[in-house]
Amino acid sequence: MWIPVHIDENRPEPLYHQVEVQLRGLILSGRLAEGTLLPSIREFAADLRCSAITVRRVYQDLENEGLLRTRQGTGTFVAGIDQSARDEFRLERVVEAFERAVETGLQLQCSREEMERIWREAYERKRAEADGEKGGPQ
Amino acid sequence: MNREMQGLTDAEADSAVVALKGATVRNDGFALGPLDLSVPAGMVTAIVGPNGSGKSTLMRLLLRLAPFEGEAAVLGQRLAPDSDERLRERIGFVSELPHAYENHLTADEKARFASLWYLRWSWERYERLMRGFDADRTKKLGKLSKGMRRKAELAVAMAHDPELLLLDEPSSGLDPSAWKSLLDELTRYMDRGDRTLIFATHITEEVRRLADYVLFMHRGRCLGLYEKDRLFEAWRVLAVQRVDGTAGKEDAARLLRQAPGVQGAQESGPGICRIETDAPEETEAYCLSAGYRILSSQRMELEEIMACLVRKGDAGR
Repeated sequence: MWIPVHIDENRPEPLYHQVEVQLRGLILSGRLAEGTLLPSIREFAADLRCSAITVRRVYQDLENEGLLRTRQGTGTFVAGIDQSARDEFRLERVVEAFERAVETGLQLQCSREEMERIWREAYERKRAEADGEKGGPQ
Repeated sequence: MNREMQGLTDAEADSAVVALKGATVRNDGFALGPLDLSVPAGMVTAIVGPNGSGKSTLMRLLLRLAPFEGEAAVLGQRLAPDSDERLRERIGFVSELPHAYENHLTADEKARFASLWYLRWSWERYERLMRGFDADRTKKLGKLSKGMRRKAELAVAMAHDPELLLLDEPSSGLDPSAWKSLLDELTRYMDRGDRTLIFATHITEEVRRLADYVLFMHRGRCLGLYEKDRLFEAWRVLAVQRVDGTAGKEDAARLLRQAPGVQGAQESGPGICRIETDAPEETEAYCLSAGYRILSSQRMELEEIMACLVRKGDAGR
């Protein structure tokens, strides 16, 4: 099975952290359903072009969080996850995305007012787009 | 044995799949070592280094094909003139160049010899590997193309499911589809977790896809054994300039001298310095405090890291 995890080599976070955040996201958002068999450590490492040490660490961390379980001899599966963990995660992802945007703004010397204006405009634009789609073709 | 002086302890010999202490091979005109090295079990270690850096000689040492001084242990067994011959049965090996004396054999004939020698030989595994590599079984090895012969030799070397697999430039001559099959087979071989692969290569993509550790070699010396992901995380190339938008040769020279972690620095364009570092956080902090700004920070390629390590090794000689 191929897992859509993308490593951005130029980000400063360590590899294992990038893989862990994305795999956790895929599980908590429900895009990897309960019971899904993940690739073996070696296969996943070869896909990601990282070491088996990194993948093993990610699998162990997510197993400790209760998101994965390993059955001896068969492999690593996605565990069942309760709704409250999903809800918590939904907001976490939004916070992360905003933080990244603010980081970019600060790097480019945006003022608070500029950032707030950008946010308001983006919100209005996206809402209008979404409403337009809902309305269907005229 | 003079263990006190050489100092490879039994614990060291047992825990690593390969343990070397002061191991030296002297050929005419070439010396390998002295090497102190410990290669972890259950892992893939890629040996990289320029031609003539000693990669093949190191493999020959591990196979007891080259006389050496110092101490060496492989799979928990010390290498000595009287050590157990059966150690070789636990190892699979493909050499850099094929053996001329096997030119008149077909792959199946070579496999028949190997099957007598290796207790754990499996014809089933051999057949599966030959099919997977799409290798020729009937023509004489000497009549096969380099890549086709390589595929047969890899299948023979892996058919007894060795505990340690030593491959010297395994993919040389392989076409892209055979190369992909080789990577898949090696991934499958390692999947069980109790096998160890050591391979020499010049191909960065193989290191990226297969290796857990990278061993750098240069002029018969070991420049270091690194965990791959840590290595790529540690080394970065930064573009910096003064806050006023300038940077010149003097800036590069000063940063090379004074900023922590910097392994190389040049003026790389109008008003921009290019800095190579293996401690990016410290380097960045220094640059910011010294009145520079960071324009970009990027990972380095394996070749670039190796060039830095070689330069550092040469400077320390």
